[in-house]
Amino acid sequence: MARARKSHETAARSRPRHFAAWREQHGWGLVASLHRLGGRPLGTLMTVTVMGFALALPLTFGLLLVNLQRLGGALGQTQTISVFLNTNLHADAAQSLAGKVKSRPEVSAVVVRTPRQGMTELATMQGFGKALDALDSNPLPFVLVVTPSSDAQAAQVGTLLTWLRDRPGVAQVQDDGAWRQRLDALLSVATRAVMLLAALLSLAALLVVGNSVRLDIQSRADEISVLRLIGASPAFVRRPYLYAGVWYGLAGGLVAVLLALLLEALLNGPVARLAASYDGRLHFVGLPLWQLALVPLLAAVLGWLGARIVSARQLRRALT
Amino acid sequence: MIRFDQVSKRYPTGQEALSELSFRVEPGEMVFITGHSGAGKSTLLKMLALIERPTRGTVTVDGRNLATARARAVPKLRRKLGMVFQDHRLLMDRTVFANVELPLVIEGIAPAERARKVRAALEKVGLLAYEKKAPVALSAGEQQRVGIARAIVGKPSLIIADEPTGNLDPQLSAEIMGLFDQFQRVGTTVLVVSHDLMLIKRTRKRVLVLDQGRLVDDVPATEVMS
Repeated sequence: MARARKSHETAARSRPRHFAAWREQHGWGLVASLHRLGGRPLGTLMTVTVMGFALALPLTFGLLLVNLQRLGGALGQTQTISVFLNTNLHADAAQSLAGKVKSRPEVSAVVVRTPRQGMTELATMQGFGKALDALDSNPLPFVLVVTPSSDAQAAQVGTLLTWLRDRPGVAQVQDDGAWRQRLDALLSVATRAVMLLAALLSLAALLVVGNSVRLDIQSRADEISVLRLIGASPAFVRRPYLYAGVWYGLAGGLVAVLLALLLEALLNGPVARLAASYDGRLHFVGLPLWQLALVPLLAAVLGWLGARIVSARQLRRALT
Repeated sequence: MIRFDQVSKRYPTGQEALSELSFRVEPGEMVFITGHSGAGKSTLLKMLALIERPTRGTVTVDGRNLATARARAVPKLRRKLGMVFQDHRLLMDRTVFANVELPLVIEGIAPAERARKVRAALEKVGLLAYEKKAPVALSAGEQQRVGIARAIVGKPSLIIADEPTGNLDPQLSAEIMGLFDQFQRVGTTVLVVSHDLMLIKRTRKRVLVLDQGRLVDDVPATEVMS
């Protein structure tokens, strides 16, 4: 019993000591890594800048994409289907068709526009007034403006369109939402491309850090062998290089975020003018803050990984 | 303290660096190892530092057979050893203090205790006032003394020195030997590889003479002629 307690006490005492030793060793690695980066400021600056640019590029494209998606979303709210009826169709026929359309589940609203309404609308448009005066009768048909319900799938809208085209008395169906689908398709292609680009450029960033760490290890072959000879473990020797990779990544990520913010600030003015022409329905949005905060962290992980891969290879030869 | 038992080392090139070498060094002894270049002195040291392993035979230090030590155990075994190099091998971009401190950092010792031990080691080699200096600002003899301070800071029971006076003039060499003599007096085992016969004769310690990987002479301290 006494013995068990004693061994327990020893363990409790040695754990904080173990942690203290760990802290000392890591502290040295951390300071040594900063020493190294500060020791060749130009090389460090170049590595960080190259990494920053490589990461800023997908970030910028992401920014543009987010705004294009918003643009699509803002315009998509007005998605309607215009159903032009035959000109000889009477008002009650138009009303009954409107009723049938309205009863379909994927339709949220139907508005019937009479030829007279169409005419007044045209008349208010600049330059049409005189031309319309020249007409002796109203050539405009009844038009049903159909708004699909907001949760209607593209396929459902498709069936609705075919169904509308097959109705007797319907002259033409114009889907204002078709361009929206094309935009969506285009945006999903662009999203895929940006993700691919981000992956490739992240790999480039990883290689840049890896190369810097490789050069660092090569130029410190003497130090490494001294450390090994006086009894440093492989992990101890390696630690400063891993920390250096983390610093490279963190700094590169910060540069990327700064570049993205700079670009955002530069784009804000022209986009504001564009938004004004859209009745202020649109305004430029930046990347969300949490995403920006994530960039340096992810970059730090990339840097660590690059340093890890290279140091494993480089140090194996040095560690005799 | 050290036991070589029928130790042979053949390099992959076919060169036989040591052949059937056997000797013992008792705890607290100071021993010179000498011989022409290529006699096997460096190979012998490399085996003690676990840089090389014997092809045949066993090397035992402090009761532990180095031949069976796993790679993972190597750093810890090296930490029990104080190594002094001909070219001192200091880190030139760090202060004297940081250099001497290094083995203690590797050991994970707390800063206050480190500072105390570093100052004690620097005081022993007479360089306490130099702790904040860069090694480049020091003379060759002083640099070597910093190297020695680094070797003794962890209080090893065995110090091995590879041509520690190779780059020094006779007077500085004698100073360095004086330091090793002091360490021996407090019970540390000291092994010095040197081909400086004048120095060996003056220091009057046991001498092992190697030639072509074999032990050709073992002269006790009492029989060394000055």
